[in-house]
Amino acid sequence: MDYSEEERAIIWLCGCTALEYRERVALLRAAKDPRSLLADFEKIFPSVIKTFSSRVYMNERAQREREADRLLKSLDDRGRIAITLMTAEYPKELKAIPDPPLVLFAEGNAELLKMRKFCIVGSRMTPPWAEKQCKTVSAELSQKFAVVTGLAEGGDRAAVEGALPSGNLITVLPCGLDECYPAAHADIKNKIANTGLLISEYAPKEKTKKYSFYARNRILAGLSEGVLVVSAGIKSGTLITANRALDYGRDVFAFPYNLGVAQGEGCNELIKKGAFLTSGAGDIFGNFGIACEERPQAELDGEESRLLAILKECGEEHLAVIADRAGMQIFEAAATLSALELKGLAVKSGGNRYSAT
Amino acid sequence: MIAKIICFALHGLDGVPVEVETDVSKGIPCYEMVGLPDTAVKESKERVRTAIKNGGMLFPVQKITINFAPADIKKEGAAFDLAIAVSLLKASEQLVGADVKDIVFLGELALNGDLRPVNGLLPILISAKGQGYTKFIVPAENAKEARFMGGAEIYPARSLAEVVRHLMGIEAIEPLQTAEFAVTRGQRQSSSDLKFVKGQPVARRALEIAVSGGHNLLMVGPPGTGKTLLARCIPTVMPDLTFEEALEITKIHSVAGTLGEEGIITERPFRTPHHTATTVSMCGGGNRVVHPGEISLAHGGVLFLDELPEYKRSTLEALRQPLEDGKITVSRAGGTFTYPSSFMLCASMNPCPCGNYGSANLTCTCTPSEIRRYRKKVSGPLLDRIDLQVEVDNITYDELTSSATEEGSAAVKERVDRARAVQRERFAGQSIVVNSEMGEREMNAYCALSAEGDNILRGAFEKMHLSARARSRIIKVARTIADLDGSQYILPKHVFEAVSYRIYDKMS
Repeated sequence: MDYSEEERAIIWLCGCTALEYRERVALLRAAKDPRSLLADFEKIFPSVIKTFSSRVYMNERAQREREADRLLKSLDDRGRIAITLMTAEYPKELKAIPDPPLVLFAEGNAELLKMRKFCIVGSRMTPPWAEKQCKTVSAELSQKFAVVTGLAEGGDRAAVEGALPSGNLITVLPCGLDECYPAAHADIKNKIANTGLLISEYAPKEKTKKYSFYARNRILAGLSEGVLVVSAGIKSGTLITANRALDYGRDVFAFPYNLGVAQGEGCNELIKKGAFLTSGAGDIFGNFGIACEERPQAELDGEESRLLAILKECGEEHLAVIADRAGMQIFEAAATLSALELKGLAVKSGGNRYSAT
Repeated sequence: MIAKIICFALHGLDGVPVEVETDVSKGIPCYEMVGLPDTAVKESKERVRTAIKNGGMLFPVQKITINFAPADIKKEGAAFDLAIAVSLLKASEQLVGADVKDIVFLGELALNGDLRPVNGLLPILISAKGQGYTKFIVPAENAKEARFMGGAEIYPARSLAEVVRHLMGIEAIEPLQTAEFAVTRGQRQSSSDLKFVKGQPVARRALEIAVSGGHNLLMVGPPGTGKTLLARCIPTVMPDLTFEEALEITKIHSVAGTLGEEGIITERPFRTPHHTATTVSMCGGGNRVVHPGEISLAHGGVLFLDELPEYKRSTLEALRQPLEDGKITVSRAGGTFTYPSSFMLCASMNPCPCGNYGSANLTCTCTPSEIRRYRKKVSGPLLDRIDLQVEVDNITYDELTSSATEEGSAAVKERVDRARAVQRERFAGQSIVVNSEMGEREMNAYCALSAEGDNILRGAFEKMHLSARARSRIIKVARTIADLDGSQYILPKHVFEAVSYRIYDKMS
């Protein structure tokens, strides 16, 4: 891909892993014309950064040019692109936030950035029913939106799995595109690169740092028209994304939880503060004035629909209690529930407890 | 003069005839042993010498050569003592007129001439009888074990002197009366019973299915909820041992030297090796002669692995092949030994490191990756072989103290027996006893699925990413559930229930 001189300079700046975000912004401001970054870095640098850090290696212009070329070539080789603040494709929603990333490194279908985008986040300890529900909502949302999410376990993973089949999925990484956190999700990361879009504000080789999750969450919120929180403890990192979204004037949606469920206290708190209580994709579509089709109903026989009704009535409940209410033998109820489970209408939450989705 | 006496050496579960040849001739007095005896056999020299002397006979002060034939098998243990002593006496012409031909002598000697019991007597008797030997002189302490061998003359002797008097016709030993095999309800059966297990309806049902069809069972549950208690009840609902089964199990225990007072195993074994067990102790092993391991000792019964993820990975992986084949073949320098190891595997584990995952009232503090790491300690291929995976519930205090009587083992055993009877009829004339042992051929014949059932399985296969093995195991479990239900065909509900017991496939 061809980059203008200005873009090239900014991409080089973002390749300097020793610098922090605010230092890069300050350097860019001081340079006025980004091109002078490559030309006169020695002059600009001391004028901006007073506490001269030995981490930054001062080299000459030719070396910097070579570094920039190497970085761009490595991007091209892997079919990746870099979208800078000066590029026309840079998402305008993201540009509007106070601290937009200077560059988005992207791998996959960059066209997705032009779609309407909606963010789904959840904590790592998302209960099984919420994961299932999240997957369903994500799948339905991905028909109209590009679903924006992270790559963590639990809620994020469920959102990824829901949206991946349609391909309308943007995953924002807290590290460079070469890295994968958590490492166990490497396979799913590759699938996203093939069918969806991976983006990161970090140069490909950069590793995850403590603050990079925090920084990543502003991109999640900034890119999206709204944020759905599927699970969040009272001190969950997921709430950062929700709070950022509120700062940026986005709509916040949340799944409601039973009282006393630790994984959902943050969600309930959000709803208390005015987030939209969400039980399905229809609530979100309705808020954005999008007409949505009814979900096709799975075919159920008499026993199954009777048990499903009981499940819906009592929430999460133990198999023995469900069987008792249905007047069935426990193993009969187990068989029917496992039928419901395969049809995606019930979910087992561990400890022989079931709930409807 | 040369004397030849028959004795038997143990090779795995088989007895191999060994001829003890003794030559006593003129020359410088010496006492030589040839024919690949191991240390314990060589040491018998001193035991035999003192036993003969203290038994009131003469130890020849001549050139003595003892040979064990065939010379290519390594002879091990002290069971040759009696045969050596008798051949010495015969060769030194102290047993004139006594007929020692075709008698098999077995036993270890004490210094005062008393006979001590030997390990592996029953397997030796069985193979010796198979090879045409019908007269045996055995230590009296082994009599309990030997009396179950019908169709042979077995003389229990207390000492070498008794043997000599018997052989000389001075004082005959009464041959053993063949004992009738009767299943006795032992100690363990009365102390464990399903009626003492509170609640756990789901696990109970899984246990019943597992025992009915000989399937393996994994119980997942928080600590202290009764997993071990449930497992201990398994032998109480298993079908009674038949005599053939009892003999086969007794053979193994006889070789291992773990036979109790009874002399024959009348209860199905319940083995609980600790999780520090090594691969060798589990599968069997030894320096030259391979001793049966825990999985062989559990043959015909239950191998219970408590806290499954704590076992060494390599130890668990070693179980995979015996689980499929029902036998284990161990090779060592001393030879290759095959022991039966057809057991029901029952394992228990916690759902996560803190133990509270899935609990209704306690919060699990583990992250998904911690849980995954914990579960990864048990490999997929092993889990694949465990047909029934079931969660054990956290019990509330009220349930624990309630006086409501639970269904006892006897009622469950009745249903199990019925389901087993159906299987016996189905597999009549084949080497298979229970559904879990079916191969592809039998499955095609007996496990036809309706189109609906097949569709369900197809759905589950795709949704749960099942392996081909998991699929066939689900069908086998469904077959057992149908048998319990008294249904000739596998109905959709049976398939659904079978699928519901594969919780681990659903989780990943």
